[in-house]
Amino acid sequence: MASSSPFLNPSARSRPGDLAIVLLARDSYQPITLEQSTGAVDGYVEGKVLNTRFGSFPHSTFLDVPWGSQIRASHVDTGSRGRKRKLEASGEDTSTPGADDEAKDSEAGSQLTRKAASAPSGFVHILKPSPELWTSALPHRTQVVYTPDYSYILSRIRARPGTRIIEAGAGSGSFTHASVRAVYNGLPQKPEDKKGKVFSFEFNEDRYHKMQDEIVEHKLADMVHLTHRDVYGEGFLVEGKSPEATAIFLDLPAPWKALKHISRRRPQTDGETPKPDDGNWISPLDPKKSVHICTFSPCIEQVMRTVTELRRLGWVDVDMVEVAHKRINVLREKVGLNLPNKKGCNLTPANVTESIDRLKEINEKTKDFNNAQKEKDGDAMAVDPKDSGKANRQGNGKEEEDEKPWAQGRVVHRPEGELKTHTSYLVFAVLPREWSEEDEAAASARWPCGKETKTIGSVDKAARKQAKREMHQMYEMEKGRKRQKRSAGEKQAIGEDTQTST
Amino acid sequence: MTTLLYIASMSRDLVQPNAWVAIKLPNDMLRVLQVVPNTTISLGKYGSFPSNLIIERPYNLTYEVQDQEEGETYSRLRIVPGVELNADALADTSADKDAIETSEETAETNDDDDVIVPADGEDFTLVDDSGKVIARSSREVLDDSARQTLTSAEIEELKKKGTSAGQDLIAKLLLSHTAIDQKTQFSLAKYKLLKTKKYIRRFTVLPLDVPLLAHWMLEDKDASKILEMRQESMALLGCWADTHFASQPEEGAEGPHAGQWLVVDDTGGLLTASLAERMGILHQTPEEQEQPETSVADAGSSGQPDGQPTQKPKRRRLNDLEVPYAPNNTLTVLHHNTQPNLFMLRYFDFDNTEINPTPPYHPLYSNLLSLSWLQLVSPELDQTYSDPPAEVDPETVASWKTNQRGNYHRKRRRWARTKHIIDTTRAGGFAGLAVASTMEPISILRHTLPLLAGGAPVAIYSQTVEPLAALADAFSITRRAAWVSSPPAETEGKTVAEIERWEGNDEFPINPTLLLGASIQTSRARRWQVLPQRTHPLMTERGGAEGYIFTAWRAIPVEGKIEARGRFRKRKAGA
Repeated sequence: MASSSPFLNPSARSRPGDLAIVLLARDSYQPITLEQSTGAVDGYVEGKVLNTRFGSFPHSTFLDVPWGSQIRASHVDTGSRGRKRKLEASGEDTSTPGADDEAKDSEAGSQLTRKAASAPSGFVHILKPSPELWTSALPHRTQVVYTPDYSYILSRIRARPGTRIIEAGAGSGSFTHASVRAVYNGLPQKPEDKKGKVFSFEFNEDRYHKMQDEIVEHKLADMVHLTHRDVYGEGFLVEGKSPEATAIFLDLPAPWKALKHISRRRPQTDGETPKPDDGNWISPLDPKKSVHICTFSPCIEQVMRTVTELRRLGWVDVDMVEVAHKRINVLREKVGLNLPNKKGCNLTPANVTESIDRLKEINEKTKDFNNAQKEKDGDAMAVDPKDSGKANRQGNGKEEEDEKPWAQGRVVHRPEGELKTHTSYLVFAVLPREWSEEDEAAASARWPCGKETKTIGSVDKAARKQAKREMHQMYEMEKGRKRQKRSAGEKQAIGEDTQTST
Repeated sequence: MTTLLYIASMSRDLVQPNAWVAIKLPNDMLRVLQVVPNTTISLGKYGSFPSNLIIERPYNLTYEVQDQEEGETYSRLRIVPGVELNADALADTSADKDAIETSEETAETNDDDDVIVPADGEDFTLVDDSGKVIARSSREVLDDSARQTLTSAEIEELKKKGTSAGQDLIAKLLLSHTAIDQKTQFSLAKYKLLKTKKYIRRFTVLPLDVPLLAHWMLEDKDASKILEMRQESMALLGCWADTHFASQPEEGAEGPHAGQWLVVDDTGGLLTASLAERMGILHQTPEEQEQPETSVADAGSSGQPDGQPTQKPKRRRLNDLEVPYAPNNTLTVLHHNTQPNLFMLRYFDFDNTEINPTPPYHPLYSNLLSLSWLQLVSPELDQTYSDPPAEVDPETVASWKTNQRGNYHRKRRRWARTKHIIDTTRAGGFAGLAVASTMEPISILRHTLPLLAGGAPVAIYSQTVEPLAALADAFSITRRAAWVSSPPAETEGKTVAEIERWEGNDEFPINPTLLLGASIQTSRARRWQVLPQRTHPLMTERGGAEGYIFTAWRAIPVEGKIEARGRFRKRKAGA
């Protein structure tokens, strides 16, 4: 069975109930859940309407179109809503007219949603949701784990189809959505099926409820198990059972406080002597696999304490990185004296020649002016009128006007004006599976040593020389044998030749 | 041999015989090798050991190569527990306790040496013993003549007879340094670390997956072969292309299915492998293993003696024209030569040049499709495609010689597969496009954009920003506005589909309305050293290509004229 989540199994065209991301302008996203209105909504005769600064868009114009479609704005009466609502309050609608159902529309009359009439200007694009788009569009509840961070984290903690991953806390849900996509490998057919799943924990009750609603609305409830819990105290078991996780992501203020639960054996509390492991304690980890962890902390002090605790608990490959991400703007740099005097054009010389030409021109003018001053003594006010404002007029040169503005100048790139210079420090570590004496004994019984024939990997000098010598000898022998054979063959051939010629 | 290889990747929990693994050495170098049973694995100066000692053992364990025991011809291994590996880093925390504010957590680790020193007492306690005393002399200037008093010959000698995996040697080196008592605690720790990296006979066995393979290619092998693509770029590319596992289409569903991705890969198959890993079709899992086995067992019930897994009969395809390809969750690789270069997939036990593999099949066998640009753009020029082999009636075929018969079937199978790949690819409907190529991106998009489903993401990796900047410029807002207000004369009277495939001119290298949200980004992970009071970013890291990623979504423009509203109009009027 396939999941019907628009994140994992999108339909080819938009459907009612789908989450859609409306792209208003560059980096301006609006998430909406598409609704098939059966009557006027909020006084809009077109049904549910999305109002933006680029126009009004009834949901009916978003439905049953291919994703990525450009959608024209519609003529929507936004002014007289209050009055209309009163008028239509009595109407109960049953039929479901779509965007193309014009015939039905006219049949049912004014009680049904009216087909939207497109406006002369304004448009948006409708996109199918993805974790990247959702991250840009989601309502912020806490600090968001952005795409450069989560993509790297998921790769480092080896979250792949089939992985069972623990996430605490859920926060705004951007990491949750990204990790569902990473671990999804189908829905379980039977209860004992172990498929990829996200086990998410959130302490804040308000955020927990919002998150739970979101998961249901995005049809991810089969792949995400959200628990409202304080993981520092209560750990990571889900309904008393182990999630059998192999990947862990902790976005907590004090990750070191939760680490004691992410253990293969009962954690030893302070002052207590280590007891022989009793059967009651259940580890949230997969006992047969290595476990990868990532903690996400903005402050270096948090990192220090987490790292110390990880090292103390025997995690290996402890590594800390910080992801620096830059978005780059591409623009056209337009510099030159002969450019039109417009926005985006820098009216300074493009090169030394232009500058010199300009200086020469000024010199010329000064000379003319001085001459004029001199002549002024004799002649009466004879200033040459043709020169005044010549440079300015040149600035609006005719041939430049014809050129397309998008093809002018030189393509340059630079980082965006505002950079996210720090999100958080990422601490990674690995906990290998346990390997007992018995396991080792069983393995060495199956794979006894002492019968090694060849050597792989780097060989020391003497051995390499020896191998080379042997190979050389072999080659020589082979060659010798071939030579013998060949000469024998040649002899035969010659023999044949002579035979035929005779 | 091939069956052995496939079984090798069955379980990812334990090292399987003949599995590809990466061995991490103390100097952070990686060795990628295949663990062939009954061989000796040599790690150069770090020692050698029998391969059987790591077979069916867990991954991520660190071993110490022990000294040969009397009467044995090989070295045994000792698993080094994680706490012992971390001892040095932890030792510093307890020594520094005076400086660092005592917290409830660090209170657990008291100053006693027994916390720091590993249980078996093999590790020497030099740092810890002298820790406090030395720390006080931290401002002393080191004597210029300070040096190692052991000669290189003596070190060589020690290395030869050295015991306890090189720890002896390291301790001697430290003790013979003339200025050891003048070194600060930190420089002592650094000196010890340096010597440990050089001499300790330890190694870690890691499972070979795409991030590790990429790291190995980048740091230890030929970085140019993978376009110097770092893990952060690869991860971003996979996310922005929205590649993920796609479940099978509903029974009886027709047409192009969701969950097919298009790839242009000049990284020798690394990009393909990373996408395949995201889709769950790179590693063979035990469940997938069972499937072909049961089908073979069914065939075997008709008089085949069981056992002898290597001699299992090949599953016969009844019809030559039946293709082995999955309907979705597939990658379609576009390549510029007659054959794709996907050599990196070898490390995942998949050989794309093998025409007739034997079961159990690798998932990529049915989920990886490849075709050349010529086959995509002008299939009629492709010999295999345009020249379907004639159908011959079975009696005639039966009368042929084995050789001729084999040729006939091979040709027909090849034609059927080629035709299937070309036809399905040209039908379009792809869920996304991922590119890591040295080819001009505009030319790639001109031919691939029409194949993408609406809203499908495009993600392009480039070592340098310039090709991507040129691409972004082709989709700039002003150019798009200009196209809408006065489309080029060539496009007049053309249908929407024709305009989508328009070949471009000087002003508009590509139809600029086909992409949305074109943007470029770069991401870099900066590594830090985390040690108490010595936490800072690493001093040097790999330079070279920064790695840039272009992202956008495929748009479906409306038919006819459309005008923008709001800020756009102003800008357009002003431009």
